[in-house]
Amino acid sequence: MSTATVDNNHSAALDAAESTDAHLITVTLRVRRYNPEVSDQASWVDYKLEMDPKERVLDALHKIKWEIDGTLTFRRSCAHGICGSDAMRINGRNRLACKTLLKDINPEKPITVEPIKGLAVLKDLVVDMEPFFQAYRDVMPFLITKGNEPTRERLQSSEDRERFDDTTKCILCAACTSSCPVFWNDGQYFGPAAIVNAHRFIFDSRDEAAEQRLEILNDRDGVWRCRTTFNCTDACPRGIEVTKAIQEVKRALITRRF
Amino acid sequence: MQIHKYDTVIVGAGGAGMRAAIEATKRSRTAVLTKLYPTRSHTGAAQGGMAAALANVEDDNWEWHTFDTIKGGDYLVDQDAAEILAKEAIDAVLDLEKMGLPFNRTPEGRIDQRRFGGHTRNHGEAAVRRSCYAADRTGHMILQTLYQNCVKEGVEFFNEFYVLDLLLTEVDGVKHTAGVVAYELATGEIHVFHAKAVIFASGGNGKFFKVTSNAHTLTGDGQAAAFRRGLPLEDMEFFQFHPTGIWRMGILLTEGARGEGGILRNKDGERFMEKYAPVMKDLASRDVVSRAIYTEIREGRGCGPEGDHVYLDLTHLPPEQLDAKLPDITEFARTYLGIEPYTDPVPIQPTAHYAMGGIPTNVQGEVLSDNTTVVPGLYAAGEVACVSVHGANRLGTNSLLDINVFGRRSGIAAAEYASTHDFVELPEDPEAQVIEMVESMRDATGNEKVTDIRKALQETMDTNAMVFRTEQTLKQAVEDIAELKRRFQRVSVQDKGKRYNTDLLEAIELGNLLDLAEVLAVSALARKESRGGHYREDFPNRDDVNFMRHTMAYREVGDDGTETIRLDYKPVVQTRYQPMERKY
Amino acid sequence: MSADTPVDAVELTSTSGASAFSPDNPAPVIEPPRARTKRTPRATRTNFELYGWLFMRLSGIVLVVLVLGHLLIQLVLDGGVSKIGFAFVAGRWANPFWQLWDLTMLWLAMLHGANGLRTVINDYAERDATRSWLKALLYTATAFTVLLGTLVIFTFDPNIQ
Repeated sequence: MSTATVDNNHSAALDAAESTDAHLITVTLRVRRYNPEVSDQASWVDYKLEMDPKERVLDALHKIKWEIDGTLTFRRSCAHGICGSDAMRINGRNRLACKTLLKDINPEKPITVEPIKGLAVLKDLVVDMEPFFQAYRDVMPFLITKGNEPTRERLQSSEDRERFDDTTKCILCAACTSSCPVFWNDGQYFGPAAIVNAHRFIFDSRDEAAEQRLEILNDRDGVWRCRTTFNCTDACPRGIEVTKAIQEVKRALITRRF
Repeated sequence: MQIHKYDTVIVGAGGAGMRAAIEATKRSRTAVLTKLYPTRSHTGAAQGGMAAALANVEDDNWEWHTFDTIKGGDYLVDQDAAEILAKEAIDAVLDLEKMGLPFNRTPEGRIDQRRFGGHTRNHGEAAVRRSCYAADRTGHMILQTLYQNCVKEGVEFFNEFYVLDLLLTEVDGVKHTAGVVAYELATGEIHVFHAKAVIFASGGNGKFFKVTSNAHTLTGDGQAAAFRRGLPLEDMEFFQFHPTGIWRMGILLTEGARGEGGILRNKDGERFMEKYAPVMKDLASRDVVSRAIYTEIREGRGCGPEGDHVYLDLTHLPPEQLDAKLPDITEFARTYLGIEPYTDPVPIQPTAHYAMGGIPTNVQGEVLSDNTTVVPGLYAAGEVACVSVHGANRLGTNSLLDINVFGRRSGIAAAEYASTHDFVELPEDPEAQVIEMVESMRDATGNEKVTDIRKALQETMDTNAMVFRTEQTLKQAVEDIAELKRRFQRVSVQDKGKRYNTDLLEAIELGNLLDLAEVLAVSALARKESRGGHYREDFPNRDDVNFMRHTMAYREVGDDGTETIRLDYKPVVQTRYQPMERKY
Repeated sequence: MSADTPVDAVELTSTSGASAFSPDNPAPVIEPPRARTKRTPRATRTNFELYGWLFMRLSGIVLVVLVLGHLLIQLVLDGGVSKIGFAFVAGRWANPFWQLWDLTMLWLAMLHGANGLRTVINDYAERDATRSWLKALLYTATAFTVLLGTLVIFTFDPNIQ
């Protein structure tokens, strides 16, 4: 029957991928685990897995959860770098587990996986995101306009739209904020993600509340705490030039004053 | 156990849920319960755009859009609903722009529009530029913009609250909405939300397929909860397979890629869509393109050593255009396939994408308990609902539209209902069923694993209920699912804890998927015709005489506790468009 | 992926007191050093941090000139370090230009350094009490040094015995 042809083709490909073990490699995932219902100590646990190097770290975590230890806990949803659920510290760098292929992070050595830093660890790789979202909410991340609404859309030139394009890409995964040494030591700092989202509106030609947002970020815990270590830019899975955005906010503050 | 009291409770914080929340919060005391953080919803994965006949770049009007939607849905669309969708699309887009959404712009500074599959000028004459877009991350921008406005309106969110049950109380012989029961992921605690109105906006259920563009979390929780409470599910056999998913992974590559000029090619480099859709070619509607791709593969013209995929060719497009209009999908190709789309074609295959069916509602978003009766206080919007504006096949860009138009409508309707009605009493022991469900799952000691059953389910669905279906394969699917449901009785989870027990959560989600997969297979088996996303090789033609009607599936529990699915049918609302043969 | 792939899970560090915690009695979460407080910090509406940040950059530039000039004169030109003595200092401070040079250098260097240390303390001192003590110490030391230095420059008496 013809249906079978399709399915055969289809599964044959997958079988081929699975049956030829030649390309499978043994990787060790070293996961920082913490289960408060068992112990108050976090510990490193090694898992040896047979994986295709083209698979993602998320696939490896799923393999552990589904086949070895169901108690391993992490957040994930879309699995292709859009939803921002699975930011974690992989080999000491913040990344999305679903956008990190094993072959790209030297699978010969044990791969360390830890929760992102600077936020309370609730269980295994799950951290308390509330302080992160609070900082986001505190910068008024929404369009504020004055006067009557136009009947049609507000006009905006392509150049004006381009001005803040980079910072609209943010998925609020917290990879940047939790890679910032200032944030590690002082959670009061707004952090790169909040500043990125303020930037997105400060430089939107339609917005009329840049002044208020700049005022918020001019404070003790605002942009002036940035030490330009570029950790955030390195960490951003969306390729946003985070440090540059922060610098642009600083420049806007200075030019506003002088 | 905690009891909360809200006028309006919204289940789900994706596009539809947050659009509803923005309206409902202004009018009533509203809570949004979501099993993920708000911006994690799969709305964010939508790429191509949102259709609206703005006519910013070329002549267009909402009536053409209505026609395209109806034709795209293979005439199973309720035409009154499609008309509302197309008419309100314009304001929906303008509203989003006013909320701050950064659309791409025309040289005049207006919202730019591009071509998209199935959207035509003057009833099918030629492709029209109707899709309003923000690069290839329109869904992301919509999700962010809606969340931003929820922050602005001070919407109250309960993050990582997993709704497991819908509470209905019988008043004068009519079931009224009393609230929902939720499981708090962080603590394992049960919360009862006593509410006047409930809106389900919990998204789709594509995770019962293996090759799917859906998120891991799209497990049909809303549909399953309603179904367990005796409410029907409409048109569940209609599932959309998106033509261009990344080979083997299923990650979506937007139709906008073809809208920008991308071409599908088989192993001979032939632009095969010319054969199947002479006018619209690569931009024919999704079911047509998906079937064409599989036909090419089956007839031996597939690419690769296994001949199991075709190519999406973008190499003739200037790199600047790809960077400006399709930055995300070119990055996907680089990240996951190691392919440079500037110079190499991208291997793709159809991927399970969108559930056209769901909880039946009318155009106000009110949920129906049969063909006509409304459940007072219960609403649904988005992919979880079936209005039905998508009929047998959804047009690309109409889902982002759906969530905004019907999310808004249901938000307003629910809040107005809540402000004119009183609370109905909670049923006795409202949490009992959920506690029983959670505890028995936690304490189970069976020898079956969630992952094995899920894998088997996905395997059988991909093999038997995907793009091509026959009586035989569907019977096989029904049988397999029944067996898997029996195995599911013996399932146990490893994690016995309370805090962030995602192991338990996945087991419950699998239960939902099994229920919904069964509805899909049973409904599909009964529909002995081919229409839109549902293609039966043994009945390759559309049968308007017998099947121009919506399937309504009910869960029936016999006296001995056995569950069966009863099928009923609902007429299609037709206003001015007579069914015609669908050609592109 | 087949289920029978060889798998191995090794715990690297042993957990102690495992029995003390249970689902109904969980251990506390692992807190970061200084979590963000629930309360949004109130806006001070001053430009102190802005001026502080600007001052660091501007004083830095000026200090490069002053300090390099200072080092050049003191250590390289005209016989180098060997020429420095009481008489040399006395000779230099007889000239108001050099007085001003050294005074500027003193103030800028001290304030630049103190501000830098202030941010380091802000960043790294975890407890509020530690932070205020360290800052108090820093400010005292800075004020003392600056005042003493200023005093010396203006009241320097070349004829002191």
